[in-house]
Amino acid sequence: MANGLVQIQGIEGEPGALLAAIPSPAVYEGESLICGLDVGSTTCKYTLASPRGEVLAQAYERHNTRQAEKVLSFLTLLETSHGLTPGRDRVFFTGSGAGIIAPLVGGKVVQEVVAVAAAVDKLHPNVRFVSEIGGEDMKTIFFQGEGISRSKQVLMQSACSGGTGTFIEKTARKLEISSESLSKMGYSGYPLHKISSKCGIFAEADANTLLKAGVPVEEIIASLFEAVVYQNLATLTKGNTPMPEILLLGGPNLFFKGLQEAWRYHLGKVWKERKIQVSDDRDISTLIRVPDNALYYAALGCVEVALRESGATGLYFGSDKLKYWIETGQYEEKKKMGRGGLCKDDADLATFKARYEKPQASAPPAGVAVTGHSIGPVLLGCDFGSTTAKAVCMSPEKELLFSCYALSKGNPIEDAKALFRQVRAVVSDGDILGLAITGYGKDLLKGILGADCPVVETIAHASAGLHFFPDADCICDVGGVDVKIMILNNGAVTDFRLNSQCSSGNGAFLQGVAERFNIPMGDMADGAFKALAMPTLSMGCGVFLQSDIVNQQRKGWQAEEILAGLCAILPLNVWIYAGGMNNLQQVGRKYILQGGTHRNLAVVKTQVDFILSKVPEAEVVVHPYSGEAGAIGAALVALDWWKGGGQTIFRGFDSIERLTYKTATSTDTVCHWCPVNCQRSFIDVALLEGKGRPWSKVPLTTGWERVIVNNSCPKGLVEDLTEMKVIKAGIEKTKNAYPNVADMVRQEGFRRN
Amino acid sequence: MPIRTLQTWFARKGSAATEVAVSKKKDRSQLRVGIPKVLNIWTTHQFWVGFLRDLGVESENIIFSSDTSEEQGREFGKGRGTVDCCYPVKAMSGHYGELIFGQKKKINILLSPMIHSLPSVLHGHVVDTVTCTRVMAGPENIKSGFLKERDIFAENNVIHASPFVSLGDRHMVTDQLYISLKDAFDLDKEETARAVKAGFAALDDLTERARKQGRDILTWCAKNQKPCILVLARPYHMDIGIGHEIEADIQAYGYPILWLQYLPADMDLMNWLFEADLRDGLIKSPFDISDVWASSYSSNTNEIMWGAKVATRCPWIACVLRLSSYECGMDQPTYTPAQKIVEATGTLYFKFGDLDSTKPSGGIKIRVETIAHYLGKYSQEIIQRKLSYLSPNCPLGELPSSSSTVATGETEPAVVNVV
Repeated sequence: MANGLVQIQGIEGEPGALLAAIPSPAVYEGESLICGLDVGSTTCKYTLASPRGEVLAQAYERHNTRQAEKVLSFLTLLETSHGLTPGRDRVFFTGSGAGIIAPLVGGKVVQEVVAVAAAVDKLHPNVRFVSEIGGEDMKTIFFQGEGISRSKQVLMQSACSGGTGTFIEKTARKLEISSESLSKMGYSGYPLHKISSKCGIFAEADANTLLKAGVPVEEIIASLFEAVVYQNLATLTKGNTPMPEILLLGGPNLFFKGLQEAWRYHLGKVWKERKIQVSDDRDISTLIRVPDNALYYAALGCVEVALRESGATGLYFGSDKLKYWIETGQYEEKKKMGRGGLCKDDADLATFKARYEKPQASAPPAGVAVTGHSIGPVLLGCDFGSTTAKAVCMSPEKELLFSCYALSKGNPIEDAKALFRQVRAVVSDGDILGLAITGYGKDLLKGILGADCPVVETIAHASAGLHFFPDADCICDVGGVDVKIMILNNGAVTDFRLNSQCSSGNGAFLQGVAERFNIPMGDMADGAFKALAMPTLSMGCGVFLQSDIVNQQRKGWQAEEILAGLCAILPLNVWIYAGGMNNLQQVGRKYILQGGTHRNLAVVKTQVDFILSKVPEAEVVVHPYSGEAGAIGAALVALDWWKGGGQTIFRGFDSIERLTYKTATSTDTVCHWCPVNCQRSFIDVALLEGKGRPWSKVPLTTGWERVIVNNSCPKGLVEDLTEMKVIKAGIEKTKNAYPNVADMVRQEGFRRN
Repeated sequence: MPIRTLQTWFARKGSAATEVAVSKKKDRSQLRVGIPKVLNIWTTHQFWVGFLRDLGVESENIIFSSDTSEEQGREFGKGRGTVDCCYPVKAMSGHYGELIFGQKKKINILLSPMIHSLPSVLHGHVVDTVTCTRVMAGPENIKSGFLKERDIFAENNVIHASPFVSLGDRHMVTDQLYISLKDAFDLDKEETARAVKAGFAALDDLTERARKQGRDILTWCAKNQKPCILVLARPYHMDIGIGHEIEADIQAYGYPILWLQYLPADMDLMNWLFEADLRDGLIKSPFDISDVWASSYSSNTNEIMWGAKVATRCPWIACVLRLSSYECGMDQPTYTPAQKIVEATGTLYFKFGDLDSTKPSGGIKIRVETIAHYLGKYSQEIIQRKLSYLSPNCPLGELPSSSSTVATGETEPAVVNVV
């Protein structure tokens, strides 16, 4: 191995510690050393090598988003302790931070995958597949052929958190598992649960649900490892089979024992299925290797690339420029790179505020405690959402007379009682001309309250929107946890987008960041408007956005400026990333903004600017009763129904107040539709006309009606297979009466006689 | 890659099935043929059944893969995916895998035709009835995933037969199938011609029966003045793993469902619907779409435009459901025109676009409830408005007088909650 890299054998020691002295290879006077530096998304690593590629020193450390500072401390150490000499030695950089830092010290940039492949080529001629999982990316390399004809196919993903190290760590943090115990947790032998492999934020939510359901953390972590391997195999193999030998690289692959086990399990399975010959004398674990220096392959590859380049490339000229950049330059850069503020100038802000700041149409009188004084015959609209329940009273002339709300406490019956107690302060039974309910609770409560019209959310919002703005083309509702976009055409909702795949674009994230900076939501807009410049944040994945923010903060961006930056990318996330709408022209020209997030004027400003940039003739309005839109829409539907001659079946305030119920939470109420096994509760309400559920595991006699709560998805609203059969039978009956041509084709088209 | 002939294949490894096929030349009773149930097989299914049956392949030896599902893709197609944004094409690798690995009794031939043109009711009225090139070439694309590293077909003693065939141009089919399948099936020209004839007879029979069901639905709608729904989609959206049975969720609210591919095309009905346009010389026949779609080459696209024209005229089609898969380049240019045509008479139009492997349940449930709401609210108005544009001589039978059209409670369909 005269002129090659030396593979380092089993280096023991704490991660992060400078590696113990390696039997020092000869370095002759005047010879130039080579330094490979890998500046990754979470850590920096270096490898110092002799001109013949023999490793002299290696180390890695987390940089906590201070990439440049960490590189400087490495270079300083290398100069003082290892004789790195400006003007003589060469530095080659790779990793996400290489582009900015390398030119500051004279270094040359090597693309990450090229670097890793170069090291693997050198050290492991028999390796056919490499998976490198980094903090915020994942890569696979397939090697084909032998010797000179050996070729590589490289696949890389760095836009989404699914399948990366951050994906695992984020959830582990949530579960309060230290990195030390995480690294020891296993995979084999644990029952696995479904965890979204696509998005770190949803995985976290899934893990949370599992935890609440009493699933042991070991099983959750094993399921996380499963999700990561699945995501890597699903997105980064593209039709290729990972063939032995296999090399697993990068921090997560090195540190997480369970992740290695998951790889071994899945690759073993793939090989068996595809009948890949694995020589008998070799154990699977020797075919799937995680070298002890797995972290350093990119840095080693830099050295390898340097060996092939002429002696003048990457000549280190010292760290002065880097120092300057850290102390001054990056802050100046900040000003150059950042875009202007949210407003062009004061006049722009003034025009905007004049138009949008006017106090929201004064809300209908809320909580007026005029007991005994009725506001007259009304239509009652209620919106039972997941966090609050709201009610409005509307006169037959469409005047809003009253509104109230109650925070949801998890029991819809109690929530309804709390809401109706407020309503009965202003109206009595006889005044209710019709009751319409919408929101998550509509199916649960319609029978119990005696609702005349259960109204689907879209219709409620569209009715309310069109009532105030009859020519609206689109309603954009950005709430705390979801984004809804409704496209209207001829007065009907023709398209509806619900963001459910990815967490980007929702208001909770904005709120989370504001809270971290201790800025009340109410003050956020003013702060954001004050920012004269703001960082350009990246659209998309909310998980990466979090680390992007830390990075920007470090560069000296202030809280207000970062919040302004966040507001600025929100429309992109809402419309393009979450809503999947690239062509707003097609949507129309009049847009209604509603939902809690649009109470923030800075968001409204960026939304207006964004929409106008796509549709110059657009008109953007903010719904005057943003929070009550659902309840108002329901009341409008009830009004229509009443005008059509409807006679209300409203149960009456006293009956609602007197509703009695019993709650059951037991093994018999556990949901078995999916492996999450939610611990549901059954709330059984005494109702004269209740049909009962004699077939249930928790049987119910007639005179009772069941409400199911604490389910985490709509499936759980169906009790079990028996109820499903009852429902299916009903559906089948309807389907037989109303045929579907496709059913006939599905049966007859594939008959073979 | 040359097509492996039966002889060579047999020479590699003997099996009872092939011995029979070779020694008694025309006995194909032991030959097992798998057909991936994908893409345009969804409107040409019976052609292949009729063709194979006539060649002597036993009915139990014709194996269609199951409906597309994520499980199928994971279990059988795993990692053999292709770089293609078209999910209906991508999903094919799961079907291939299921037919190769998932059968108790192994198949001998995987028949995966490259269908270049389709039989269409519009044939002769449009420029051509060819298929999407990406869909047509799907078999080649997916095949490569099974050849890339090792020849999975050879390892499993399966012949991959993907004849290029222009089913829209019947006179060409015998030659095409003879040339491309003669080795795999040991064909002679004469029996090929006979089998092709049998195939078309079987297909025509099914198409006719399905159209008849469509007519029955419309007749029932006319008699009871009830609305129905038309699905505007590509044939493979009938696959519940591709179209996700979205139409069935609306059907469960008590609305019969018509599919574009099987709209009744009877002249009496068509002449009634298009009477004014024919009289004014806007079109030459009810199947002429040149007024809205000049570049009428693609069979499924043509039919989508024609279906939109029928939907906007036919009184009882109160609502059109448009299904489209993620990034479908063929559908892209039709979105706006099809929607504008349908909505011209106030007919409701709802699009479920960007369909992919998963059914986004939450969103779909809310949308289906939304559609049911509008249907309940507007369908009578829509039916009456559209009737007023047409002559009173409805070929579907005498219509109840408009005063009694508002449905009585008795015939009102039961509304069932969809789970």
